[in-house]
Amino acid sequence: METNDDVLIRVKDLKKHYKKGQIKALDGISTDIRKGDVIAVIGPSGSGKSTFLRSLNLLEEPTGGEIIFDGVDITKKRVRTPDGRMVRMNIDLHRQKMGMVFQHFNLFPHKTILENMTIAPIRVKHIPKQEAERNALALLDRVGLADRADAYPFQLSGGQKQRVAIVRALAMQPEVMLFDEPTSALDPEMVGEVLDVMKELAGEGMTMVCVTHEMGFAREVGNRVLFLADGKLMEEGTPAEIFDTPKSDRLRDFLSKVL
Amino acid sequence: MSGFIRLSNFPTVFTYWKLFQQGIIVTILLSLFTVMIGFVLALVLALMRMSDFRPLRALGLDKNGHMKEEGFAAFISRFNPLAFLATAYVEILRSTPVIVQVFIIYYGVFGLIKLPSFTVLGFIKFDRFFPGVIALGMNSGAYLCEIIRSGIQSVDGGQTEAARSLGMSAGQNFRYIVLPQAVKNILPAIANEFVVIIKESAITYTIGVQDIMSAVNAVKGATFIITEPLLVATAIYFCLCFPTSKLIAYFERRMSRGDKR
Repeated sequence: METNDDVLIRVKDLKKHYKKGQIKALDGISTDIRKGDVIAVIGPSGSGKSTFLRSLNLLEEPTGGEIIFDGVDITKKRVRTPDGRMVRMNIDLHRQKMGMVFQHFNLFPHKTILENMTIAPIRVKHIPKQEAERNALALLDRVGLADRADAYPFQLSGGQKQRVAIVRALAMQPEVMLFDEPTSALDPEMVGEVLDVMKELAGEGMTMVCVTHEMGFAREVGNRVLFLADGKLMEEGTPAEIFDTPKSDRLRDFLSKVL
Repeated sequence: MSGFIRLSNFPTVFTYWKLFQQGIIVTILLSLFTVMIGFVLALVLALMRMSDFRPLRALGLDKNGHMKEEGFAAFISRFNPLAFLATAYVEILRSTPVIVQVFIIYYGVFGLIKLPSFTVLGFIKFDRFFPGVIALGMNSGAYLCEIIRSGIQSVDGGQTEAARSLGMSAGQNFRYIVLPQAVKNILPAIANEFVVIIKESAITYTIGVQDIMSAVNAVKGATFIITEPLLVATAIYFCLCFPTSKLIAYFERRMSRGDKR
């Protein structure tokens, strides 16, 4: 039995409603994300999986519920400090510890690959430029792109861009990595190189939450799978439980379409 | 004064060439200062319109600290006085004629504030030139505001999401990520606005600024020749505006060449 201390992000009854609650993008999702978890979030389109992921670092502002990260409910505008004062919650501090990888890479087109990777460590964490560049080059080397450090994003292939996007997030030394359909915008032959990087990362013990359509990846690399539909967490379990013995009709129906 | 154009009138007009020469200098200076004032004003207005300043925000929070979705409290909690003022300014300036604005500034505002009357370069009357620049600058600020705003908003939202997800603050994101990309979109439009202002500045002859149009007026008054000085003015305005816009188009093409994403 795992203790509470292992929980990195606790999501409680998370809600995102639009138009007076007529549209419920997220309708009461609760789950715990523990250190070292590799969680695959699957579900039909419009099920709220991207909204769920983007809520975790508040790129989407939830309309209800709690997200407790590092002991702080980051959905609140004001939080209590350990010494009991109420202060404005500074989301930037928490986002530094949550890396995010987007479907469309979102590299900065006016900056070189190296600048893409060092701007946040230099400006946000105030790491000296030389040290930041050394770290960035080491990370680039790991994904086989050290020779492209001075290139601009438009000179890279989709798979290369996404690998850069992953190491750009890693350069901030996050505690958890959030992946929002990282391979959906890639040509088929480039999907593998990105998944390989993600597998390696999972092997090193990084906590990961991945919204993905790659069922093979979810099954092979994930230790837990969340199935979302209509903004609700319909089923949650190990890959074997989800893929081999689905309980709900919705999940059986979904799997019959994607597998 | 029979006939549309008489070639024999041109030598007479050209005896007043000095006035046209001064008019050209006044028009160019007027346009340059107008663009500068307009740009600074527009940047402030655009930032005001895009700001997230909501002093009544706390009224829209429910007991759990989440934003309420509807009702009067939610409505006023979203009220942004800075954006409201900037929007009102832009819409009023864009919905009224320039000549009315120029007259209000000259007769209204600078009828109360007395400007010192001296001349610059011997022929620029400061107490006419200055109100003209202010009026045109205020007007072009309203138009440039929209150009700057759309330039900033045309930067892909994913850029901001990526920057914020790396822990950058809203200010850092604007300064290091959004603004450098927006400037590229904005610069050609600002240069175009400069061409527009060269033409629009002709209106300031009505408050006695001695630009190219006022040279036309002076020749008309002295010689009763009208069409020929107007043609000279046409030629001058064309020679100022056409090459400028071609030059801008050239740089625009060159800049977009490195824009593959």
